[in-house]
Amino acid sequence: MSTDRVSLELRNRLSELDTLCQSVQQFGEELGLSNKALFQICLAVEEIVGNIISYGYADDAVHWISIVISHKQGILIIRLEDDGIPFNPLWAPEPDCECPVEERNVGNLGIHLCKKVMDEMSYERFGDKNILILKKNLNSMEK
Amino acid sequence: MEVLEKRQDGICILELLGRLDSNTSPEFEKKIFEVIDDGTRSVVVNFASLDYISSAGLRVLLKAAKELKRSDGKIVLCSMKDYIKEVFEIAGFVSLFPITSSVVDAVEEF
Repeated sequence: MSTDRVSLELRNRLSELDTLCQSVQQFGEELGLSNKALFQICLAVEEIVGNIISYGYADDAVHWISIVISHKQGILIIRLEDDGIPFNPLWAPEPDCECPVEERNVGNLGIHLCKKVMDEMSYERFGDKNILILKKNLNSMEK
Repeated sequence: MEVLEKRQDGICILELLGRLDSNTSPEFEKKIFEVIDDGTRSVVVNFASLDYISSAGLRVLLKAAKELKRSDGKIVLCSMKDYIKEVFEIAGFVSLFPITSSVVDAVEEF
């Protein structure tokens, strides 16, 4: 039987994103997810964790980001916990997707992509931790 | 990630292999800007063998498109997997780039 839960602890270094994607890929393959589902889940997690690593810390010290991915009855749940500066991605302004190429910028694009490929996103600040929960309904995706 | 470069009738065709993410995008940025800085104004990016793209990859493509637009150049993207094209749609990038289904069609855009 395939595992229905994977836990990861990553340091706040961009090189850790490779480890992250490999773990997500392996977990998803064991569940028999489609390439599209695997891609969207990797993308969502990479965008959020990349954001935490790039902008979440005021110092250069090593910090740990905890990620738990679990699967229950066709719903994939990703829980991310970090001790970075308080940041609620749900409040991030939407990028302007209508303007011409010269004026287009990509601020908050990663968060926007994450919101769009996942079905639910919820945020809580608990003590000195940011806790973000992402959900994706795999039943509603074509195989 | 690997970037393969081909030339055809003054058009530079860059084929991306593997993943275009935060870690590999700087390498692609270096490559595409070398091509633009050398005076190439017509660029095709072939996505046929690209399995993954994140916002970091989109950022490089936008930067290159802006640079080419300033100098009367053009960039055309081609041969995307459906799930990758969907990211371009979500990002609102389909209105910024001509996207074709094959390299042959991409070359026809110039």
